[in-house]
This record gives sequence, structure tokens and C-alpha cells, in this order.
Amino acid sequence: MAALTMYPDSERLDGGNRVAFNLYIITAVTLFVLMMLLGLTMRLGQATWLSVPPDLFYRILSMHGAGMVGTAALATTAVMWFFLRKYVRLHLWAFLTNYVMFMLGALCIIFAIFVDGYGALWTFLYPLPVHGMGLWSPNAAALFMLGYLLIGVGMLVFYLDAAAGIIRVHGNLGRALGLQWLFRGTIDPDHPKAVVASTMVVIANTLGILAGAVVLVMGLVNIYYPEMALNALVAKNLIYWFGHMYINATIYMGVIAVYELLARYSGKPYPISRPFLWSWAVSTLFVIIVFPHHLMMDYAEPPWLVVMGQVVSWGAGFPVFLVTVYGALTNIYRSNMRWTMPSRLLILSMFGWAAGIVPAILDGTVRINLVMHNTQWVPGHFHFYLLLGVLPMALALMFHVIGQRADAPPNTAADRLGFPVYLIGGLIFVLAFLDAGHLSVARRMATHLPAWTATDEVGSIGAILVVLGMLYFAIRITVGLLKAPARGEPHGGTANTAG
Amino acid sequence: MKHRSGRLCLVGAMLWAALAIPAVRHVLESTMTLQMLIQIPLLALAGGWLAQGAPGWLVRRLHAWNHRGISGLLLASLTGMVWMLPLAMDAALDDPQVRLAKFLSVPLLIGAPIALSWPRAGFVVRGVVLVELIATMMRLGWLYLISPIRLCSNYLLDDQQRLGKILLVAGFAILLVLVWKLVWGHVDSGRADREDARIGSD
Repeated sequence: MAALTMYPDSERLDGGNRVAFNLYIITAVTLFVLMMLLGLTMRLGQATWLSVPPDLFYRILSMHGAGMVGTAALATTAVMWFFLRKYVRLHLWAFLTNYVMFMLGALCIIFAIFVDGYGALWTFLYPLPVHGMGLWSPNAAALFMLGYLLIGVGMLVFYLDAAAGIIRVHGNLGRALGLQWLFRGTIDPDHPKAVVASTMVVIANTLGILAGAVVLVMGLVNIYYPEMALNALVAKNLIYWFGHMYINATIYMGVIAVYELLARYSGKPYPISRPFLWSWAVSTLFVIIVFPHHLMMDYAEPPWLVVMGQVVSWGAGFPVFLVTVYGALTNIYRSNMRWTMPSRLLILSMFGWAAGIVPAILDGTVRINLVMHNTQWVPGHFHFYLLLGVLPMALALMFHVIGQRADAPPNTAADRLGFPVYLIGGLIFVLAFLDAGHLSVARRMATHLPAWTATDEVGSIGAILVVLGMLYFAIRITVGLLKAPARGEPHGGTANTAG
Repeated sequence: MKHRSGRLCLVGAMLWAALAIPAVRHVLESTMTLQMLIQIPLLALAGGWLAQGAPGWLVRRLHAWNHRGISGLLLASLTGMVWMLPLAMDAALDDPQVRLAKFLSVPLLIGAPIALSWPRAGFVVRGVVLVELIATMMRLGWLYLISPIRLCSNYLLDDQQRLGKILLVAGFAILLVLVWKLVWGHVDSGRADREDARIGSD
């Protein structure tokens, strides 16, 4: 179980580790602000408060989608690395390789979009990338896909290094997941939750990256040899298998921060349990096979896959989420929680994940999907759990680390102001999306009908607040990370002992 | 140990020679499937066994250029890419010089480097190679299945499509075995990894 020392020595960031961590985090918060500005531009355009030509809109949408998912992965990979290195041996070169490949891939994507005009969205759904209709060239589509491939290779190297470390300590991935304790035996109370979550991510997302590597290269072949026509439905299945696991991995990497940090701020131990192991084991399987819920509107999709997508999406969302949220609530109950920025963000992340998952599960139901899937209900649900769930998980670790530099968890007056600005802005922003979905406002449309713009205007106001909040967080975190550690060396500090 | 290596080297040389016998070669090159899935892997296997008999001084000199097996596996991958091309497989049937190049390069530039490099490779290098192997089998299988034209002028379309199906099935089979082994089996993470087992990050 997590030690109740606020800043244990095993989490010390020295030399290359500190440089690498700072690179990840400063890059991530900078990209988050930039990508949010792109998102705000789109909402302002839909609200008719800003003129955004449709071709530019789809380029911005492509950049925002790919960029946000990639940045979320970058930030939460840093979360996984930060905690997992305490329990298994990780190599800094693998962590840095992932960073370098991510940056190279990002450059390819940025060039493809803003120089070559690519605008076929993150999904690069076949055959759209090869039909730019004069707006972008096949080379732009190829460069975009190459960017994805580079990012995937970097991630694969990091996961393989993590898998090697986990296997060296635990023997195999099954034992690391705790499968040996599902039915019997006394669970080792020191078996780290971070290892369980990391193992799940390694298994699922490596399979996702494999699917992506296959479909991306086939897409590249098709760009230069158009006679090699792909089966569009097979390509879409592989794209969503890859995309679903990639974005879900960000939640499961990010939640490690909750497992590791919450107990320190509540002052109460957060022990591992059999339901916890069961939930992660089940989710490992479910997250791999749930992807067909993205393809319920594809009438040619084999019915058994659609049925599987629906049934599993009802089950997939619950195990880890329920166990984690229940565990977090019981942990903070009567704990005299030490309310600082990290603890506020941890609890916000539980709320964002919990609330965001409900519209997701609704949309994973065939009858509802038929009505809601092409509406703004969908961006409503994924912005809910990404903006108010995943991002706060990563931000919690970032604030925790800058607290280490400043000798205490951050809790300035500006922090106390920035947090509600972000929270209220986020709620306005996502509820505007969900309400637009309820009103059947179509998603992915550059130009909106006059009857739709009311929710766009409300959403824009929310987005402005979110950008302001995130801009403050980014500056605060960057300055905090670049500051020299207090009294020369990080120290153990004290966890909350009030409870 | 030395005795066993010598025996393997001899078996490798015999296999290499057997594969070069015209009758055997003719049978193994009669279909695209046999050439790609039997003849070329057997040639690589022959090279791998031959490498077991490589003199110590040569192995030591090669190792100096083969950090954690990366150079050797890269060489094998690049050579393998050439012999995955239908154009190259076609030319190996029509042109004796290309055939000779195949019989020399597959054992010496694919099989032998893999045999010398795999034990030196760590978990990450092995993992990247295996994931790329599976992905390549799936991509090639998919390509061979959907290609509306014959990619090799010496082989028929149905042969090409059969190869495509087998490659897809083999790719999935290798994936399942790997997942099974990693989740439930005993995994040797490689000599390179065993040498540094300390917890932490560096």
C-alpha cells in the first residue's frame, strides 16, 4: 500500500530524472493551453462570435483532437513513470525515447495540418485522407499518419521497458495484476496498485498500438498504391480499437496518481483488496473488447460485434470506476482531509470520471446511440471525463511535485481562485455540449444553424474560463518545476496526520 | 556445449545444402506460400545453426559492433524486408544471380545475425522485433488478400490469397502465444536485462 509519507525518498527527482520529468510536464501543460485555445477558437466560430472558415475549422479540429489525446497520453505517461519507478526498474532512456518520438510525431502532425492543410480529423478514416479534394495532398495525409506511427513506436518502447521491469519483479504480467489472488490466498498488502494499473495499461495499449501500426501502414500503402483498396469497415474497426485503448489508457495511467497520493492527503491508508484486483482484471479484458460501441451506426458491422460492444460497454465502465470511486470516498470519509491543490484535484478527478462515464455508457446503448451519436452529446461525455477527470489526475501530481519543491503542498490564494475558475468553466463547457446533444445539435460541423448557437455561446464562455484556469495552472506548474528544491534537497515531509 | 554447437553447425550446413538441391528447391519454389513460409524460414534456420559454429574470435569481434543485439537484428530486418517483396521473390525464380543472392543472404544476413543477436537482446529490443514481426505478417497478409492483381508473375492469384490468409492466421497465433506467455508463463527478460535488476530509474 502507499506509504503515508508526503514526499518519500523513492520519489525523489534527481539529475536526468528531474530533467525528463520537467520536459514531459512543461511540454504537456504548454500543449494543453495551446490545444484549449484551438478548441475555444472552434466554439467561438460555432457561436458566430469569430469568423472561422470551414477548411480552417477542420484543420483546427484535426489538430485539437489528435493533439489533446496525445498530450493527455504524454502527461499521464509521466504519472505512470513517476510512481512505477518506485516498484520496478525503469530505464530513463526508454522514458526519454518516448518523449523524443512524441515530439517528432507531433512535428509531423503539426506540419501536415498547418502547412500541408490536412483536415481529415484524428480518425484518419479510410478513404477520407486520400480524398483531400484539393484541400490537402496525399503527402499531407501520409505525414499525419507517419506522425502517429512515430508516437506509437515511442509509447511501445516505454511500455516494453515497463513490462520488462514488472516481469523481472513479479514473474509475469498475470501475477503483477494479482490474478493469483482473485479466488483465494492472502493478498500481499504491499502489492502496489500502481503496478496493477500499469500492467493493465501495458497489456491493453500494446495491443492497441499493434492495431494502429497495422492500419496506419496499410493506409500509407493505399495512399501511394490506390489500387490496394482497403475494406473500410475493417480499417475503421482497427482505428477505433487503437483509438479507444489509447485514450482509455490515459485514464488508467492517470488514476495511479489517485491511488498513490490520496492516502497521503487524507492521512488514512488506502489498502489493496480483492474487489480492487477483480475490477482491474475484468477491465483489462473489457477495455480490449469494448471498442465496437464506437461502430453502432455502421449498419454493415457484424451484429455479434455490436452486441458485444453494447454488453461490454455496460460492464466495462463500472468495475475500476466503482472500486476506485468507492475506495476514494471511503478513504476521505471522516479523514480530516488536508485540502490543498493536489487533494482538491484528486477529488475533482473522481467526480469528473464518475459523472463523465454516465453519458458515455448511455451512448454505448444501441437505441440511444442511434439518436445521440452524431450529436454534441459525444464530445460532451468525453470532454467531461477528460477535462474534469483525467486532466485533474495529472494536474494533482504536478501540483504535488511543485509542493515538494516549495516545502509544502500548494495552497495559495491564487490556487484557491484558479481551481473554481477551472471547475466552473469546465462544468459550463461540458454541460453546454451535453445540452446541445439533447437538442440534437450535430457534432463536427464547422457552421451551425442559428437555432444551435445558444449552446455554442454558453460553451464558449465556459471554454474561456477553462483556458484562463489552465493558463494559470500551466504558469504556476512551470515556474514551480523550474524552481530549485527547497533547502537544496527534497525531504520526506509529513503526510496528513490530522486524521 | 562446444560439441553441441559443432553438431548444430554441421546440421545447418547440411540443411543449407539440402535446400539448394534442384529437386528440393523446385518443390519449395512451386508456390508462393511454400517459398515464403517454408523455404526462406528454413534458409534462415540453416544460417542460425551455422552461426553456432562461428569461431570465438569472430563472435567477439561481431559483438563489439552489436550492442545488445540491435545491429544484428536491424541487419536481419532490413534483409528480411528485401525478401518480403514479391518483386524479389519473383526475381529469385527467374534470375540465377538473384537466386544465389537469396541463398547467401537469407542464411548469412538473416539467420546468423538473429542467432548471434537474440541472446544478447534485452526485453525491449525483443519486444519491438516481435511486435513488428506480428504487425508485418498482418499487413502483408492483408495486402496479399486485397491485391486485385498478381504481385508475383510466377504465382497465381489464389496462391497469393492463400498466403495472405495463412500470414494473418500465423500473425494472430503468434500474438496469442506471446500474450499467453507474458500473462501466465515464465518469461526470460533477456541477459541484457538480467544484468541490471535494480529498482529505480536511470
